[in-house]
Amino acid sequence: MTFIDVKHLKKVYTSKLGSKGTEALKDVNFSVEKGEFISVMGESGSGKTTLLNILSTLDSATEGEVYLDDQPLSSIKDKKVSRFRREQLGFIFQDFNLLDNFTLKDNILLPLVLSRKAVDEMETALQPLVERLGIAHLLNNYPYEVSGGQKQRAAVARALITQPKVILADEPTGALDSKSSQNLMEILSDVHQNGQTIVMVTHSARAASYSSRVLFIRDGQVYHELYRGDKEPDAFIDSISKSLLVSSKGRV
Amino acid sequence: MKISFFSKMAWRNIKSNRKLYIPYSISSVLSVALFQMMASLMTNDFVRQRSSTLPTLFGMGTVVIGLFSVIFIFYVNSFLMKRRKKEIGLYSVLGLEKRHVAHILVIENIMVSGLSILAGILVGVLFGRLSFLFLNYLLNLPNAVGYSTSWGMTGVTALLFIGIFTLTLLYNIAQVTFSNPIRLLKGGKEGEKEPKSSPILFVIGVLSLGAGYYISLTIDNPISAISQFFIAVLLVIIGTYLLFTTGSIVILKALKRNKAFYYRPGPFISISGMLYRMKQHAVGLANISILSVMVIIAVSTTITLYAGTEETLNNRFPEENNLSIMTDDEMNSRELKSAIQTVQGDLNELSSDEGYTMTDQYFFRYVTLWGEMEGQTLAFKDFQGVSEIPLMVLIMPVDDYNRLAEDPVTLRGDELLYYAPDPDLERESLTLFDKAFDLKQINNMPGVMNGMSQLIDPILLVTPDDSTLDTIRAQYNSELAEYPVTLSADFFWSLESSQNSMAYASFIHEELRENDYPIGLFYESRDGNREEWYSTNGGFLFIGIFLGGLFTIGAVLITYYKQISEGYEDRERIQIMQKVGLDKETTRQATHSQILWMFTLPILTAALHTAFAYPIVQKLLLLFGITSNTLFLLTTIGVVMGYSLIYWIIYRITSKLYLNIVE
Ligand SMILES: Nc1ncnc2c1ncn2[C@@H]1O[C@H](COP(=O)(O)OP(=O)(O)O)[C@@H](O)[C@H]1O
Ligand SMILES: [Mg+2]
Repeated sequence: MTFIDVKHLKKVYTSKLGSKGTEALKDVNFSVEKGEFISVMGESGSGKTTLLNILSTLDSATEGEVYLDDQPLSSIKDKKVSRFRREQLGFIFQDFNLLDNFTLKDNILLPLVLSRKAVDEMETALQPLVERLGIAHLLNNYPYEVSGGQKQRAAVARALITQPKVILADEPTGALDSKSSQNLMEILSDVHQNGQTIVMVTHSARAASYSSRVLFIRDGQVYHELYRGDKEPDAFIDSISKSLLVSSKGRV
Repeated sequence: MKISFFSKMAWRNIKSNRKLYIPYSISSVLSVALFQMMASLMTNDFVRQRSSTLPTLFGMGTVVIGLFSVIFIFYVNSFLMKRRKKEIGLYSVLGLEKRHVAHILVIENIMVSGLSILAGILVGVLFGRLSFLFLNYLLNLPNAVGYSTSWGMTGVTALLFIGIFTLTLLYNIAQVTFSNPIRLLKGGKEGEKEPKSSPILFVIGVLSLGAGYYISLTIDNPISAISQFFIAVLLVIIGTYLLFTTGSIVILKALKRNKAFYYRPGPFISISGMLYRMKQHAVGLANISILSVMVIIAVSTTITLYAGTEETLNNRFPEENNLSIMTDDEMNSRELKSAIQTVQGDLNELSSDEGYTMTDQYFFRYVTLWGEMEGQTLAFKDFQGVSEIPLMVLIMPVDDYNRLAEDPVTLRGDELLYYAPDPDLERESLTLFDKAFDLKQINNMPGVMNGMSQLIDPILLVTPDDSTLDTIRAQYNSELAEYPVTLSADFFWSLESSQNSMAYASFIHEELRENDYPIGLFYESRDGNREEWYSTNGGFLFIGIFLGGLFTIGAVLITYYKQISEGYEDRERIQIMQKVGLDKETTRQATHSQILWMFTLPILTAALHTAFAYPIVQKLLLLFGITSNTLFLLTTIGVVMGYSLIYWIIYRITSKLYLNIVE
């Protein structure tokens, strides 16, 4: 069953001076099934972040449409957009976007507070999550007091705590060492097993190998996709790497 | 070559940090201008000549504004530096030595502060003149109040601000030198830890504020009010700063601990927002509160003075014509009486020759002694060089009292009529120079004597006859031979209402200029004094409004700076929260409640301070002859409301600026 449907998505960043502008996305088409775990790969500047921002309603498309459960995202009224973000989406930002004036705990609870949940409900949601992420002992620290990996895990906790239907992650392992990366990917994998849908941007073939499908994006278009099927992880990494290689050769 | 490289670098930094430097420069320029105008007033002719207390008050005012400038410039500077740390850290990482960075900072500082001081003095001079022109036009006083720029004070202004800017520069250089580049790179974030609340400072704040309030509440005479006033003001200022900086943190932390309250969108956003920069925040709020009190007091007292001029005149001059009479040591009360009657007869004759009719004529004789109540005894001694303020004792014979009072009294030979200004002094009987008298209490002094009882509340004794008065005076003089007291008298009369009192006054002046009466005469007319009083009090009003204007500008300045700087700080936070699902409406609600707090807190504090300052300020007003309480009360309430309105408008405008930046 199609959950997210992306149709003829185009995004042009126009500068104020009225010059032609940058075409970040040309014509992107793909769809995501409910419960799928999708990785998006591509070179730097190929439009991955732009795509995620449009999926998450943080940005709007120049042309084309994204449908979620057959409902066009652009039809969600301004007022409901925030609520939609809060309740349906979990976003893991490339640069964490933690607030320095909140402790990790308050950072993680932010979406629940904004949804006006009761305090005990928040606490129940918080405990198992931070234990699984290994940051339970850091809850009263501020973001500038912990390491990059710990910040990233707090950002992940904030994205997961509302148990959103869709999780959007922008290079979540970008700032992590290989061990932390593996740990994080296992958690996302768990979330995937739980039935939540994930769209993740990554540069790492190893990270991408945890997903069920990989989309390759170049010049603002999806030009290739790979299904994991029942491949062994190592084999899947192999074919992803090959595809990447082909893609960069194709460029030359 | 090197110098020019650093200068270019510095100039480029200033330009590229325009957004930070524009509010910074505006704030610096206006601070300089405010101080320059305030200091210039100290040497203003009007201020110097009209009253001996004014230069003192303005001296204090200038000191307060000076302290203020130091605090404010540091406040503004800390914000600027916080935003620039990252950039400065980058220089170090890119290989610029610390002394080079310091070099750049020095040049930047010289450029910005030099320009600010020059521009500030220019603004001060121009604005001072313009506002005096405008106020003179607006108030249309009989005598315009002149403005002169004091170049001496301008020099002081320049020196003070060079000092302040040098201090901030040293502080900045120290910060750059003593922290490592990585810290700097992390920018202001490092310092944004939740502030610690310090119970000791909190207690000191409470004590200091309490002491200031206590002084104001317990002051009982206007003379000591002047010196105590400054101490009270300083204590209240210190208390305000400490309570704002520590108290706010204590309260916010308590709110934060209340989970059911804290974990809701509004409080969650605003409490965390306020808490993490409360230290700066609190200083700004305390500044605004104190400036607001100064505006309210400056304006309400001077309006009261001006509006109360007629009352002052009536207290000073019970009738249109007033003749003060002095005698020498030899003269007793019977001789004085006949001398007054001779003068009175002559005056009546002279007046009617010129076609004037004297009405409402009455006089009273009295003597003023200084004593001390010891149980049932009124003891007299020499109070020279003694710090305690002695009791003022007015004594007059019963015939004269009956001419002044509404209900005439008769007294037995061993009886005195007695008025006590406060309940502690009430007695059944009283011994003076070993002679016991029974006392007959009255509850009020005769209204005519209001003018004599403004500064110090005297006790009044009325003797059954003239000779008792003479005996007491003689005994006093023989015991304290060094300072013999003499009899005095006041003689009042009016004219028929149709007659020209000004012409009459100069006629009487002329007639009394040379005379051969055995008593000294000093003549004053109420109408002759009216113009003088209106121009003096009008001048006070003028100065009051001018100061009120200056302080309001100060408050506006801080509010503006606060909103702009906090806008930039909150902007990023709000944007992140919106990404996570904070909607516009909640953003508005949270920022509005934050803004509302920041609006009401200083105004409420100012109102509270004003309420507690009320008694001491009222005593100060007595020095200027204002005895009516209602006038001052109503004026103060009016001014508080008016000022709140102005401040509210300012707040609306600046919070728009804030919301524009944030959204
Ligand atoms: N806000 C923006 N304004 C203008 N151009 C942008 C903006 N954001 C991204 N771009 C441009 O769009 C293209 C795609 O950027 P992005 O989506 O961030 O790529 P990726 O995340 O794949 O590295 C790049 O050429 C980038 O320069
Ligand atoms: Mg990107």
